[in-house]
Amino acid sequence: MSEPLLSVSGLRVGFATEGGLVQAVDDVSFELAPGEVLAIVGESGSGKSVTAQTIVGLTRSPNARIEGSIRLGGEELIDAGPDQLRRVRGERVAMVFQDPMTSFNPVHRVGAQLTEAIRAHRPAMRGEEARRRAVELLGAVGLPDPELQVDRYPHELSGGMRQRAMIAMALMLEPEVLIADEPTTALDVTIQAQILELLRRLNRERGLATILITHDFGVVAELADRVLVMHEGKIVERGDLDDVFYASKDAYTRKLLGAVVRLDRAPPLRAARQEAPLLEVTDLVKHFPVRRGLLFDREVDRVRAVDGVSFSVARGETLGLVGESGSGKTTLSRTVLQLLAPTSGSVRFEGEEIAGLSRRRMRPLRGELQMVFQDPYGSLNPRKRVGQIVGEPLHVQGRASGAELRRQVQELLERVGLSPEHHDRYPHEFSGGQRQRIGIARALSLRPKLIVADEPVSALDVSIRAQILDLLSDLQEELGLAYVFVAHDIGVVRHVSDRIAVMHGGKIVEQGPADQVCERPADPYTKTLLAAVPIPDPRETRARRGSSAA
Amino acid sequence: MAEGSHSTAAGAGPWSAALRRLRRNRLALASLALFVLIVAFSLAAPLWAVHVAHTGPNTTHTLAKVEVDGEKRDVVDPTGRPIGPLWLGAGGRFFLGADGSLGRDEMVRLMYGGRVSLFIGLIAALITTAAGTVLGLLAGYFRGWPDTLISRALDVIWAFPVLLLAIALGLVLAVGGLRIGPITIPSGSIWIPIMVISFVSVAYTARPVRGEVLSLREKEFVEAAVAQGVGPARVMFAELLPNLWSTIIVFFTINVANSLLLESALSFLGVGVQPPDASWGTMIATGATLIRTAPLLTIVPGAMILLTVLSLNLLGDALRDALDPKAKLRLEAHAGLAEPEGTPV
Amino acid sequence: MGRFVVHRLAGMVAVLFAVSVLAFLVFNVIPSSDPAQRMAGRNSTPQLVASITEEWGFDEPLPQQYLTMMGNILSGDVVSYANRENVDERIVEGIPATFSLCLGAAFLWLLFGVLFGYLSAVRAGGALDRALTVLAVTGISIPVFWLAAILLNYLSYQTGLFPSGGYVGLTEEPLEWAYHLILPWITLAVLQVGFYSRVLRSNMLDAMGEDYVRTARAKGLGERRVMTHHVLRNSLIPLVTLFGLDVGVLLAGAILIEGTFGLDGVGQYAFESLKGLDLPPIMAIVLFGAFFVVLCNTLADIAYAFLDPRVKLGGSAQ
Repeated sequence: MSEPLLSVSGLRVGFATEGGLVQAVDDVSFELAPGEVLAIVGESGSGKSVTAQTIVGLTRSPNARIEGSIRLGGEELIDAGPDQLRRVRGERVAMVFQDPMTSFNPVHRVGAQLTEAIRAHRPAMRGEEARRRAVELLGAVGLPDPELQVDRYPHELSGGMRQRAMIAMALMLEPEVLIADEPTTALDVTIQAQILELLRRLNRERGLATILITHDFGVVAELADRVLVMHEGKIVERGDLDDVFYASKDAYTRKLLGAVVRLDRAPPLRAARQEAPLLEVTDLVKHFPVRRGLLFDREVDRVRAVDGVSFSVARGETLGLVGESGSGKTTLSRTVLQLLAPTSGSVRFEGEEIAGLSRRRMRPLRGELQMVFQDPYGSLNPRKRVGQIVGEPLHVQGRASGAELRRQVQELLERVGLSPEHHDRYPHEFSGGQRQRIGIARALSLRPKLIVADEPVSALDVSIRAQILDLLSDLQEELGLAYVFVAHDIGVVRHVSDRIAVMHGGKIVEQGPADQVCERPADPYTKTLLAAVPIPDPRETRARRGSSAA
Repeated sequence: MAEGSHSTAAGAGPWSAALRRLRRNRLALASLALFVLIVAFSLAAPLWAVHVAHTGPNTTHTLAKVEVDGEKRDVVDPTGRPIGPLWLGAGGRFFLGADGSLGRDEMVRLMYGGRVSLFIGLIAALITTAAGTVLGLLAGYFRGWPDTLISRALDVIWAFPVLLLAIALGLVLAVGGLRIGPITIPSGSIWIPIMVISFVSVAYTARPVRGEVLSLREKEFVEAAVAQGVGPARVMFAELLPNLWSTIIVFFTINVANSLLLESALSFLGVGVQPPDASWGTMIATGATLIRTAPLLTIVPGAMILLTVLSLNLLGDALRDALDPKAKLRLEAHAGLAEPEGTPV
Repeated sequence: MGRFVVHRLAGMVAVLFAVSVLAFLVFNVIPSSDPAQRMAGRNSTPQLVASITEEWGFDEPLPQQYLTMMGNILSGDVVSYANRENVDERIVEGIPATFSLCLGAAFLWLLFGVLFGYLSAVRAGGALDRALTVLAVTGISIPVFWLAAILLNYLSYQTGLFPSGGYVGLTEEPLEWAYHLILPWITLAVLQVGFYSRVLRSNMLDAMGEDYVRTARAKGLGERRVMTHHVLRNSLIPLVTLFGLDVGVLLAGAILIEGTFGLDGVGQYAFESLKGLDLPPIMAIVLFGAFFVVLCNTLADIAYAFLDPRVKLGGSAQ
């Protein structure tokens, strides 16, 4: 039995805030063996990130109380002085963070930020040597043309390349431990798959012990050897990968695993719909001109956000629209609802053409087509009370006022699972999931026939997602709503949709019944997308990897 | 099955939270108290003039005598030197002395001057803030040609060295007054400096407001409003404006401070408040000629300006902190995230 | 880069044109008195007024007057209404004093503004920070012309520590040049040091909360390097833009205090001309001032683009 590389024992981290002491980490103990990948998984607020950052002392501040023990191969880190910490950081323990765009300094070149790391620890090293090492590592993490990339600025690299560069930066000093804090959360699914592959390779080839912080069980299944599950600052489950997934002893963990929406589990088929289409979109185009010029701006190019898209949605049906960032799905959803004016094409709602209608002509139709937004924090006006927010559509359209308005709003609040007394509260008093419910209530107020839901659950915790999806599905049955469900997570989309359309580069590359698209995809992009989705099931994951490792 | 929400009282709105934070900030309360004191001081001018000093702000006493401790002394001596501060020696008359060869009561002028300066400052700031907000809203929300029009116009005003423009306008209007169609404003009117200051200061508020509107309009709740069929006017005033109030309030206090400074500069140069009227700026101008022999005549009005503007700036800071407390907490916490033993500089 | 410069120059010309028109309108359209009348002074007779009108062309249509005046200014041929001396020459004479004042003050306020701002940010919340903040806020609350009079009185008249005014050329006697300018420099700098230090402090505190600073620490960089290379470096960038805008403040300051300190520069000239409603010098000085404001803004923009690689030169942002 080899000595553990890192040994955390009785760790407690508390923060003093305006509202009192918040205990973020409550008596956490674990060990990291050399060469292993340990995943710490939990929802937001579980304390997983704080734990990781405390290891290298990044959470120290005047209003933080940190107790316990963190031993790194014989060195006690919990009360290490600034010089000791500086030595450990980067050289023995390196970190990779979630968002590579903001984690790089935008005004320094990528190469300079890499060499800076090594020069800080080895001041005697010559500039050329440091640069050579940077180039070497950039190549090792899979960046094409590392000689060129090393002189680029962070914003000149794509998201995936930036994250690779960040990983290269972490490796500059050949650390013993790599802590990756949500390393793929900000990336597209296809890129995520590549980064996870890179991390796995680094772990196997260099024996790099890795602590992986994530909320995504699929990622855990792809990478981890052992798993810790955290909830409200405590570790509620620990064990080998398979044990945790298949033989979990903790109720919370089981609940969490149960709530995870899986791509490969098809929901029960719903009766096929044979109704006339409610919404028909034909050859819809939305281009954004790019203007440049010496004195006057002339159009020099166009961004083809939506480039000829056609689909239809029937009454009571759910069409899932899947695409990664930049695919045009967000622009499409806005254009269909006439929140953006289409460049060309047709949008027919109940047989009537609505594309390009003036604001006044569109107004009475607004009630029929509504939207649920992605960001629970940005979609509700923070200066208005809930009752005002939900009742605004009714008020604006002149359908109710005064006491009657209040009554209808309270009814709506109850229907989405809130309580009538929430009418007079402000959005900041509610959690993310509750805010989405408020947004749904708002969308329902005018009794629409079609709702476009733009990533309605992406910003929510796993356990809350299921609740909101259930709510949407119940409402659909009760009210005969049709949905266009836009998301980047094809697993979630499959769970709710009757039919699926896959978007890429402004066009729909494939559409059809949900299980057909997911199990027998025809288009190569769709195939890549499906293959990249991590399955929260270790046996399946190994099988997939085994069969593709030709 | 509703998940519990956090507050105990309904409607724990953003405003009451801000008010609570403000009440706890002692510096803010002190600044507010100082400002109120100064305003009260100025409002008390007629009382002092009638009951204590027995004279008006523009009344000259070149040949008069005043009784001090039983002795009669010249208010202005034969060489033109004004009498120094008598404090309470003559029952409050000439408390701060006389203001020069014209022999006017400096204390009375100080109080009346305060009324004038504060009035100009407050009204000009009101106009600037209101106009700046409206312009910023229009430019930021519509973008396109309204934005280009407004922004270019603001740029031109901005490019004109601000004081030069104010001086130029002030001078021109001070001499001839203003005539726009049926409205005539005579040259000595207090409204001339008010208009001038508002005009040159609008850009200072309009640009930041425009910037905020540009970022706010991208938020989803604005899209939601449009999706409900809400028209542009309602979006601007019912959705965007409520989120701008904190900025507007902070800007208002800063605008009052800046208007006061600008007014005093213009009056000092003779193109703001016109003689013989008193304003703190004109008083500094008269006082400066006698600074070697009667420094108090210069120091006191300037100190009044300093204290007023200082209290407003501190109040503005405190308001900003109260209305966006996360900023301050985050800032202080992260400064402390440097090594706790102190940072080498 | 070339496209950017051309774009900016074109913009500059447009703005200067608009400014000159605005100035011309202010002085010719708004006043309700006749310029010839004003020039004739107290003892005007109708014949005198008529002859002045003819000589100076006041009876020509406004656009014509504007063109004539602009033509004269640009060719260096302008003559003042009041005393018939050449305007452009007088401006050129006044430049050394005004430039010395403005550049010296600007240098001082940048230096101390950055220093105090850095110290405040690094020791945020501490006693030094609070003291500097109070000083800073006081600084921006002081009427600059009042401060000039006070400093002059107590540091020059009463105590003789500094000379009481007048300008000594740099090339003649550098030490005297500086000695005579110290009080004016301090006067102008006090106002802005406070402002800049607060802006830098605020920027730095914002930067300290950014992810890239966390990354820098996680790499094991020493605290000083984190502060200078990452926090300060990024926080200085917005100051560049601010500085471009503040050229206007410098000019205002020049107008207000050159008189007090006996510096016979462009500011003093401006003030005298304004008092006498003397249009030709005013137009020339206005253009001069606006030119510098726009020039400095443009230089600030270019500097900004160098310092922040995310800014793309040329074309308009989306």
